[in-house]
Amino acid sequence: MSALRPLDKLPGLNAATILLVGTEDALLQQLADSMLKEDCTSELNVHLARALPLPCSVNRPRIDLIVFVVNLHSKHSLQNVEESLCHLDAAFFLGKVTFLATGAGRDSHCSVHRNTVVKLAHTYRSPLLFCDLEVEDFRASMAQRLVRLLQICAGHVPGVSALNLLSLLRGSENPSLEDL
Amino acid sequence: MSVNQQDLDPDSTTDVEDVADAEEELIKKCEEMWKDMEECQNKLSLTGTETLTDSNAQLSLLIMQVKCLTAELSQWQKETPEMIPLNEEILVTLGIEEFQKLRHDLELVLSTIQSNNEKLKEDLEREQKWLDEQQQILESLNELQNGLKQQVVTFSESRIFNELKTKMRDIKEYKEKLLVTLGGFLEDHFPLPDRNVKKKKKNIQESTAQLITLHEMLEILLNRLFGVPHDPYVKISESFWPPYIELLLRNGIALRHPEDPTRIRLEAFHQ
Repeated sequence: MSALRPLDKLPGLNAATILLVGTEDALLQQLADSMLKEDCTSELNVHLARALPLPCSVNRPRIDLIVFVVNLHSKHSLQNVEESLCHLDAAFFLGKVTFLATGAGRDSHCSVHRNTVVKLAHTYRSPLLFCDLEVEDFRASMAQRLVRLLQICAGHVPGVSALNLLSLLRGSENPSLEDL
Repeated sequence: MSVNQQDLDPDSTTDVEDVADAEEELIKKCEEMWKDMEECQNKLSLTGTETLTDSNAQLSLLIMQVKCLTAELSQWQKETPEMIPLNEEILVTLGIEEFQKLRHDLELVLSTIQSNNEKLKEDLEREQKWLDEQQQILESLNELQNGLKQQVVTFSESRIFNELKTKMRDIKEYKEKLLVTLGGFLEDHFPLPDRNVKKKKKNIQESTAQLITLHEMLEILLNRLFGVPHDPYVKISESFWPPYIELLLRNGIALRHPEDPTRIRLEAFHQ
């Protein structure tokens, strides 16, 4: 099974594809629905997957952005994400991968420490977003953010590339972690 | 360019051709860009894949990012902005789109501001009403206060008592003044006949008793009238000078007793 490559196909006309990877099926489905409700000039395709590698029998368009959803309440989802990361081509990490941590609101249920996810995102030099996907308002605003990110990663925003976005998002990182 | 030469032609049928030409130009440009993309895609598919592990992730990613960023930077520096073909139709269409976007945004702003305005107006009305009510309350409270103040004034018993005392005092003073004035008047105009008796000859009877003044006579009559109201008659004594008695009787100030000519009384002017 070969790794997923970012630029393996020609892009569809005015199409942008996002892949949501995570063990929480219900949350992923809800997030996908919120994203499709967003007003967007490009055609959105949302693909859901439990883990990488993806089955190669399916004919899918070029993937522009991958979001790894980690549920802080379960160690299993973190493990799943860590295993999936091995199946990605390194070129993806130039701005086309984002980590999304959910469930940080209810601290008593968290079995995965926040810092673990922060370190993971730092290791792979990718942005980390926090959102409680179970709350509808937060989910809607996160869906908006992801749509904007997706548009940039698909190249539909002139003048900004995925790599530029990476540098821009770098500014919000915790400066103490840079020393790690 | 052939397109410009056709623009100068005033014939109206060339407009349709212009549009068609513009479209063709755009499509040609798009096709060229797509061919470039396909070439790049072919080159890319020749590069191998590389997966990462936790240990080598950071370093290799950082190196890759440096390379890509420098490549992008040099690309941006090299590139000159490419213009879309300066065709009237294209520009007009683009302009229309931009203006429509602008209009949409301005309409949003307008509606926001209008709703803000309405909210502010409602707030203003509400505050105004509240202010009016407060003023009314203030006025009624003031009236209440004034009413209470007045009540306090009128219900003060000591004040009434004091007022009565002063009234009585005034009346007494007036009475004194009247009596004094009366006394003075009577002395001036109705003196006792002592001097006249001395001047006249001795053929007049000497009165044995001491004559009293008209003032004293009136006093006796007054005191009798008010002291013993059921029997206000005074017996005429020797001390009354007869001409003064006649004066009082003739002027209706004194009255004779209907059965007894020796008794007179003061006329009751107050009844």
